[in-house]
Amino acid sequence: MANDLKTTIESEIKGSKILVYGKGTKTAPRCGFTLETIQFFDALGYPFEVIDVLADDEKRRALSDMTNWPTLPKVFIGGTFYGDTDILGPMRDSGELDKLLEDAFKEKV
Amino acid sequence: MKPAMITPAEIAALIRVALPDATVEASDWSGTGDHYDVHVASDGFRGVSLLDQHRMVYAAVDAALKDGRLHAIQIKTETKG
Repeated sequence: MANDLKTTIESEIKGSKILVYGKGTKTAPRCGFTLETIQFFDALGYPFEVIDVLADDEKRRALSDMTNWPTLPKVFIGGTFYGDTDILGPMRDSGELDKLLEDAFKEKV
Repeated sequence: MKPAMITPAEIAALIRVALPDATVEASDWSGTGDHYDVHVASDGFRGVSLLDQHRMVYAAVDAALKDGRLHAIQIKTETKG
């Protein structure tokens, strides 16, 4: 794996409190799960970013290697990997996600 | 050419290789046989983080994800017993 790619990903992850790697963009999601994730964060009301990796196989492989997670979308909050809405949904329901987001947005980027 | 679909029974069988006690419910939500809702209950999840529980399920169906029989799954896990 190109180290440059890993460095790029690491800086992207650091650059946004909530970062979604998905298929398509916020305004034009190209996959039902990516759309669902966008709607999930829209409803929470915190700013988030979506990076489209649909056409970038090399970056998708690098991301899967770094997270040990095979599918898209992949969500990072405060620099930490949290899987997808299958994980975040239960975290929201238990109140854990609120706390996590509060803390993430309290700190400076 | 579209790869062959996978059945709920085949998904359950793959998951039980990794988690023999697992109760698996798989339902096709797209009607195309390659997008599934998978609900897995197993004692093997005890003490395992939610993220790792999902990784265990992904690892169990990895072959089907890689060869295209399965395009995407929504996972719900539960500790049994």
